Amino acid sequence: MQQEFSKSEKFWMNFKLYQLWRFIVLNVKVYTVAVQSKWK
Amino acid sequence: MAKIVVIGAGFAGHTTALYLGSKIGKKHEVTVISNRDVFSYLPSWVWVGVDHMKPEKTIFKLKPVYDRKNVKFVHAAVKEIHPDAGDQYVLGNDVATGNEVRLDYDYLVVAPGPLLNFAGTPGLGPENGFTNSICSLPHAIKTRDAYLAACARMKKGEKVKIVIGTGHPGATCQGAAFEYIVNVHKDLVKQGLRDKADILWLSNEPALGDFGVNGVQIKRNGHVLRSEEFIKSVFNDHGIRYQVQSGVMKVEEGKIHWQNYEGEEGVTEFDFAMLIPQFKGQPFKYVNKDGEDITAKLNNPAGFLLVDGKYGLPYPELSQTPEAWPSKYFSPTYPNMYAAGIAFAPPGPISKPFTNKNNVAIAPAPPRTGMVSGMIGRVVASNIMDALEGRAPSHSESMTEMVAACVASMGDSLWDGSAVTIVMRPVVPDRKKYPNEFGRDLFVSHLEMGLSGAWMKFMLHHTFIWKFKAMPGWTLIPE
Repeated sequence: MQQEFSKSEKFWMNFKLYQLWRFIVLNVKVYTVAVQSKWK
Repeated sequence: MAKIVVIGAGFAGHTTALYLGSKIGKKHEVTVISNRDVFSYLPSWVWVGVDHMKPEKTIFKLKPVYDRKNVKFVHAAVKEIHPDAGDQYVLGNDVATGNEVRLDYDYLVVAPGPLLNFAGTPGLGPENGFTNSICSLPHAIKTRDAYLAACARMKKGEKVKIVIGTGHPGATCQGAAFEYIVNVHKDLVKQGLRDKADILWLSNEPALGDFGVNGVQIKRNGHVLRSEEFIKSVFNDHGIRYQVQSGVMKVEEGKIHWQNYEGEEGVTEFDFAMLIPQFKGQPFKYVNKDGEDITAKLNNPAGFLLVDGKYGLPYPELSQTPEAWPSKYFSPTYPNMYAAGIAFAPPGPISKPFTNKNNVAIAPAPPRTGMVSGMIGRVVASNIMDALEGRAPSHSESMTEMVAACVASMGDSLWDGSAVTIVMRPVVPDRKKYPNEFGRDLFVSHLEMGLSGAWMKFMLHHTFIWKFKAMPGWTLIPE
């Protein structure tokens, strides 16, 4: 069981370019699933 | 012309009013009655509580928005609801004059938000107790002041004990408390005071990361990652101690009395505490045409309105019965009366409840977040529009279908801030549709921490203020 974040995980959490990619991915994911509710 | 009255102007009531006003406000009379004349974006109060956001950035006046959207606004506190056919009306008192206000209705939406039941825990709360809260804006401001006073003590070299979590065995909203504790940690690190603070997470959750929704589970690199491991990693990383399975029974000056699953009683000392109270329904009196008080018939014991759910199932059965959760949110006794947001009675808890040997039920109540409340508000508005056009209500969405996205801020800086982004579908596990151990869609469910979350949180603040002000394109923004 994971108990602490590894050095590598912490690096990616703050690496700006990677986080920009995650920001785009997260937005697409959240919008795609949330907008489905509008059809109900 | 039909008269529609919406009680409350929070995430649920305001969303209902905006959809109704925009679509039918010119043909029918839509009225919002609320004891507050501002909309409050409460997810940002965690930042007010650490003095990272000015309180006025989280609110705006409702009336100018409603004027544009064909909605009438009455600034009054509701006291009675008379739901019997033929003479259906809401009674309240005008906030400015104290005069009685009567609003007749054909359709009623009850969405007043929770009653913060500080009285449920002796000594809890900022008004008659010893702890703080971020559940209302005045409370968040008081919390900020108390937090800054604690920081001043630390700057003088004093060690300070900080306790953050839930203040009642049946409290909900652990997510807000989690956001606050990690924001406090981050702020103290920035101020160079972290070594002066002993921070403890004290909660009624059955496990760390439960958040009242039975935890969050995702699939990553072929194995299942649970929020319990994830939040444990966050707390270990931040040096935050934690104690779960504990219900706060009483608070005295500097002392929190609690009981745990084993029935042990303990005391935790504190200098600064922010504990979320139990939430109850607003104490409106429901009166029938004979003048009898029928409140107990229409509400559950906590004061939430019974709607189209299946109530009374024991937890093991409820957890296997997704259809027990309401999906259209109307009262079976008065089908023209709806409950939206936290006002509806859930059929039971989402997380596994526990009663200890002293008969204390330590069980988080189901959270109904802003996203869930907004979705319910839209479903209710759509069904009222159906009814006005002579159709049966055709819109439905239960919490066993809803997706919820939650961004838990862990420092608001856009350069080195962070946040945990949580997506889960559905909010309430549906083990029939998703026949895995967790009853959730593990592909959609998401748990991630990083700077991108801080950007998301910042973006959501501005996007939702835009949406709730009904600015151009607001309907394109999901609830």
